[in-house]
Amino acid sequence: MSGKKKKKKLEIKYSDIALNIIPFIDVFSMLTTFLLMTAVFTALGIIEVQIPFLTTAPPEKKDTERSLDVKVDMEKDWVEVTAAFTMPPINENKKKFMTNVKTWDKDLHKFMVEVKKMDPTANSVQLFTEDDVILKNITKTLDAVKLRLNTDQQFPVKAGASPGQIAEAREFLFKKVVMASVIL
Amino acid sequence: MASVSSGSDDVELNMMPMLDIFSILITFLLMSFSTDPVTYAANAGMELPESITIQALDEEPAIVVTKKELKINGKPVTVIENGDVPLKDQAQGAIFPVFKELEKLMEANKRAMRRVQTDLDKVKAGTITMEMDANHRFKLMKRIMLSAQQAEFVNFKLMVAKGDS
Repeated sequence: MSGKKKKKKLEIKYSDIALNIIPFIDVFSMLTTFLLMTAVFTALGIIEVQIPFLTTAPPEKKDTERSLDVKVDMEKDWVEVTAAFTMPPINENKKKFMTNVKTWDKDLHKFMVEVKKMDPTANSVQLFTEDDVILKNITKTLDAVKLRLNTDQQFPVKAGASPGQIAEAREFLFKKVVMASVIL
Repeated sequence: MASVSSGSDDVELNMMPMLDIFSILITFLLMSFSTDPVTYAANAGMELPESITIQALDEEPAIVVTKKELKINGKPVTVIENGDVPLKDQAQGAIFPVFKELEKLMEANKRAMRRVQTDLDKVKAGTITMEMDANHRFKLMKRIMLSAQQAEFVNFKLMVAKGDS
């Protein structure tokens, strides 16, 4: 008898409950409006490049040390990389990539990793570009030359490098790209 | 004869599908919510070059090169005709009105940096961000860079749309 009574009471209780979802919808509406208004659907980034400039400062010590000189030549239809040491043995490494090949930028990047292996401390590339090359292709080349992908090996940094330099080495293959064609 | 039921008490709006849609929309929007320091909308009709860079845009571009005009800090400086600037604006391979505007900008930068002596801030004074249509040729880019070089800007940040690797 007592069990039956209890059951009856519970049934009455549940049938009276109604969840008021209107405040919930209000919050959702406000949140959706705010997020839609502030949404940026194209993520924007930057690629840093430098241009050569005339200076009266004395030449760097680098000219008297053996270092790796990396040059990238860009024409409308091809990109050529030349890497050579400034002093003997020069060990020149040169390769040309045709931009009509679908994977040219990936192939270029693989080659740049090989170039970096020649001298892991090398950090600078000179980019020579012809006038008729479009920005789209320049950007692809900069990506291939500059950035280190997660699948690439980690190159050692110079002894005593700062945390900033270590972070840069993780992110970049060759951090400094000089647009050498821009000269007065 | 069919009759319309007058029992309006039985009509109930089912909110669940709407809540489902709202939940999915909010999840998507929250996941794509940008925490980048600068929120900037690229110019309409402009195709930005794609890049896999992870460096986020940290300042609004000072130089904007659309398909038809060149602006510096929002001010139209010259027009673009057939992918180049008119002959009257060209000077020694550079663009004279661009040089004049950038010179003013550098003066302002120098005034702001006068009290600052760190190397990082000196580099920042000579850095400029540029937004340029992906289909422009290097010839135009070179002219702009040359004009900037003469106004002492030697570091460039090229604005790109982040794509997948």
